Amino acid sequence: MSQLLDHDLLARLGAIPAEARVPMLGNVAGKHRSPHRGSSVEFAEYRKYVPGDDTRRLDWKAYARSDRFYIKEFEADTNLRVYFVVDNSGSMNFSDKGISKIDYARRIVANLAYLFVNQGDAAGLSVCRDTLHIEIPPRRRPAHLQLITHTLESLEPKGETGLVAALHAVAEKVGQRAVIVILSDLFCDTPALEEALQHLRYRKHDICMFHLMDPQEIAFHFDRPHRFVDMEDNTTLVVEPNLISDEYQAALQEFLVNVKVACHNVHADYQLVTTDTPLEPLLRDFLLNRLPKKGKR
Amino acid sequence: MSFYQQPLLWFLCAAAIPVIIHLLNRRRHKTVQWAAMQFLLKATRESRGKKKLRHILILTARALGIAALATAAARPMIGGLLGWGASQVDTVVFILDRSASMETTADQASQSRRELAIDRVKDAMKSLDATKLVLIDSATSTPQDIPSPEALAEITNTKASSAAADIPALLQRAAEFILETKPGRTEIWIASDMQYADWDKDSERWATTRASLASTPQKTSVRILSLSTPSKSNISLSILSSHRSSDDLLLDLEVIRSGDSSSALNLPLTIALNGTKTTDSITIPGQTLRFQKRIKLPKDQVEGQGWLTLPSDANPNDHTVFFTYGAARPVKTLIVSAAGEAASYLAASAAPPGFAGQSSETIAPSQFLTKVNSLSDYAAIIWSAPLPDEGMTLPLNTFLTTGGHVIFVAPQENSTSTFNKIAWSPISTAPEGKFFILKNWNHDDGLLRDSLSGTALAGQTMKAIKRQIPTAPAGTFSTLAAWDDDSPFLTRLVMERGTAWFIATTPNYTWSNLGDAHLLLPALQRAVLAGSARFDSALLADVNRGDALPRNNETRTRIDDYIIDQKSDATFSAGVYRLGERVIATNVPVSEHEPLSIQKAELESIMQGVSYRTFEDTSTTSTASEEREIWKLFLAGVLFFLIAEALLCLPKPVKDSPTLANQKPKAI
Repeated sequence: MSQLLDHDLLARLGAIPAEARVPMLGNVAGKHRSPHRGSSVEFAEYRKYVPGDDTRRLDWKAYARSDRFYIKEFEADTNLRVYFVVDNSGSMNFSDKGISKIDYARRIVANLAYLFVNQGDAAGLSVCRDTLHIEIPPRRRPAHLQLITHTLESLEPKGETGLVAALHAVAEKVGQRAVIVILSDLFCDTPALEEALQHLRYRKHDICMFHLMDPQEIAFHFDRPHRFVDMEDNTTLVVEPNLISDEYQAALQEFLVNVKVACHNVHADYQLVTTDTPLEPLLRDFLLNRLPKKGKR
Repeated sequence: MSFYQQPLLWFLCAAAIPVIIHLLNRRRHKTVQWAAMQFLLKATRESRGKKKLRHILILTARALGIAALATAAARPMIGGLLGWGASQVDTVVFILDRSASMETTADQASQSRRELAIDRVKDAMKSLDATKLVLIDSATSTPQDIPSPEALAEITNTKASSAAADIPALLQRAAEFILETKPGRTEIWIASDMQYADWDKDSERWATTRASLASTPQKTSVRILSLSTPSKSNISLSILSSHRSSDDLLLDLEVIRSGDSSSALNLPLTIALNGTKTTDSITIPGQTLRFQKRIKLPKDQVEGQGWLTLPSDANPNDHTVFFTYGAARPVKTLIVSAAGEAASYLAASAAPPGFAGQSSETIAPSQFLTKVNSLSDYAAIIWSAPLPDEGMTLPLNTFLTTGGHVIFVAPQENSTSTFNKIAWSPISTAPEGKFFILKNWNHDDGLLRDSLSGTALAGQTMKAIKRQIPTAPAGTFSTLAAWDDDSPFLTRLVMERGTAWFIATTPNYTWSNLGDAHLLLPALQRAVLAGSARFDSALLADVNRGDALPRNNETRTRIDDYIIDQKSDATFSAGVYRLGERVIATNVPVSEHEPLSIQKAELESIMQGVSYRTFEDTSTTSTASEEREIWKLFLAGVLFFLIAEALLCLPKPVKDSPTLANQKPKAI
């Protein structure tokens, strides 16, 4: 088994179902709500009988009360497809003291994929640099997990971010509704990112965003002049961090707000994550937050 | 501003340390791979301005703090001579202007400018340990070692004098002293009231002085203590000339009034003649009054002396004049001319019948050599003949160099002879119906100058039919009047104490209307009087100049009864003195009465290339401008800069460590 998987963690989180927030269109029966009516035990609604309906589904008790024919309908349960879109650009390789953003993303993807597959859902993987360069279609087989984890382990972050183009490509390629889990530092043009998310939303996908940041990128704590080398295009800049820390924080705050607003506009499940955050509470909160509220399904 | 511990000023270089550290710190940066470059770029763009300014201010505060500390350690001083002079030198050559004008007391002051200057230098020298003081005073011009600053006020050479000061000569003397004795690091301090005449900006000595100062082994700097504070109302009296005419003594006097001169002022004039005092009064209508005082001389006394004085005022040294007189000498003029109309006019103009005992004698040119031995008795010689030959030139030159005046008029005949390279041109005649007309003449100088009252002579009436122009190599003589075609009418050749004049026509009606006396009479009278002045000049002199100086084996005794001030140096006081067998009255030079000061631009011009500083001492007491140490001020400055630096460096309110929890985006 891959080292990316934390079995204790998976054992503790296994009891929490991984849900989608929108009805899914699966090809087999599963645990997830479908937009279609089906044969589950979950009552959906009454509707008037029309000729041609199966008379076995007539609610005779309702006919006895109202002298009218009603068909009793139930929810259909299906499985879902989850697509993990991982940013593999150079900036994802950054780490100050702890693990890099790409390592953190690997662990999230591997463990979530395990949880989804384990409950009968299909998991796929898309990896992008300047373009979408790895695509693993979603499968329900447990053996498929090995392919995903092997692919994750082999990732080498480099190049510039092509996340926006990759998301547009995913939106075009994934025809049926799916859960799209994006893991990136989002160092790209925010308005363009919002357009890509709108595209996904238009395709009725359930979007989850793991915005990965290194703690040092947020704190920006340096005590002397540094020569900063851009990890994507090798641009260099010599600055005195003390002099520009306020402006840096202001720019960062503006960026974070813009990203959050963009995700909010598309009803995406946004998570700002620093790489020093323990994985278990992060995934537990993620799963719990996705559970349907009481009385809703 | 100057410093007690000047070497400590090297620590000012330490002010560069914060900047150097900053630059070094920038160079030893660490290289890091960075992902969030877009925020860095944006922050860098936006941080230019306020932050940089703050950083520059911090660096500046640090640098200034260190500089202020170094300055305080060097013990800075300001005020008075401290700012003016105190510094690390081995020798100070102190040039003291103790001319008559330095005795002026400034408004609301109790001391004269000279006394103030001495006090300033005394105080400044106390601050300079082991610095040698050498005095060169304006009266003696002799370097003198001063054992201690305290002695400055006591020695004779710093006491008041009535002489003028020759600052360029004194400065040159100081430079020579430095070159001769090589006294190490030397500064020249000049204390002066900056009087225009004393500084004599046109003096040819300045070039030599500057060169001498430049050639000193260690570059000598000059510090000038300017004591030109306006004085109280002051009235000065000066004697321009004295002339005995029979039993009268004619004194040309001038009164200059400084301060408020808007209204006329009536003053008593005390006259002492051979011990007998009388009082007269004079009215000064404006700023200046020139008048002639006629003093009736006792008939039984051939010679005598006396003085005139005005009431004492801001300067006790400039309101008394002294005079002496001897037996009246006849004013005789020798006319060398062939008999004729011109000779008659010349004789009448040189000695009008019955006027002031003047007389003239006309001789033919051939008789001139018979008069050679008695030429010194004549005030002037009028030469209306071809220029003298070699035999006559020698006695004429002697006559001229001893103060006589010779007037050459056109000889009315062509000749090739010359006198000191000057020759007469051939006779030229004006075109028919036209005249040579006098067009320009000098109204301020020469025989045709305006009168004392400012009235111009009637030169425009001068016309000539014939003329002979004096010719000479360029620069031989100066032209004081010219015809309408710019050829000279009146020229002058100065020969030591005497003057030769050349008039380009003659008082003959076939030649010109010069005989009408509009010009001829005043011109010849002026020449004759100037020539006769040498008989009286031996009786009147400026203090410390010319005839006032004792000649070989002459002893000097004061014979007037004027009571001199104890502050004065008797050797250089105005008065009447017997020098051997001669008696002479010495007075404050007229130039000392001029209130004009040398301007800054003029000072810059004459001190060009010399390192000099000027301190304007406007105080009126000896303690007013004493030096004050101001190191405390600089320590306060250090404190101020350190506090400013601390305030600028204060960190902003500490924010919580940015974690995921507190870095949530702001509310949408």
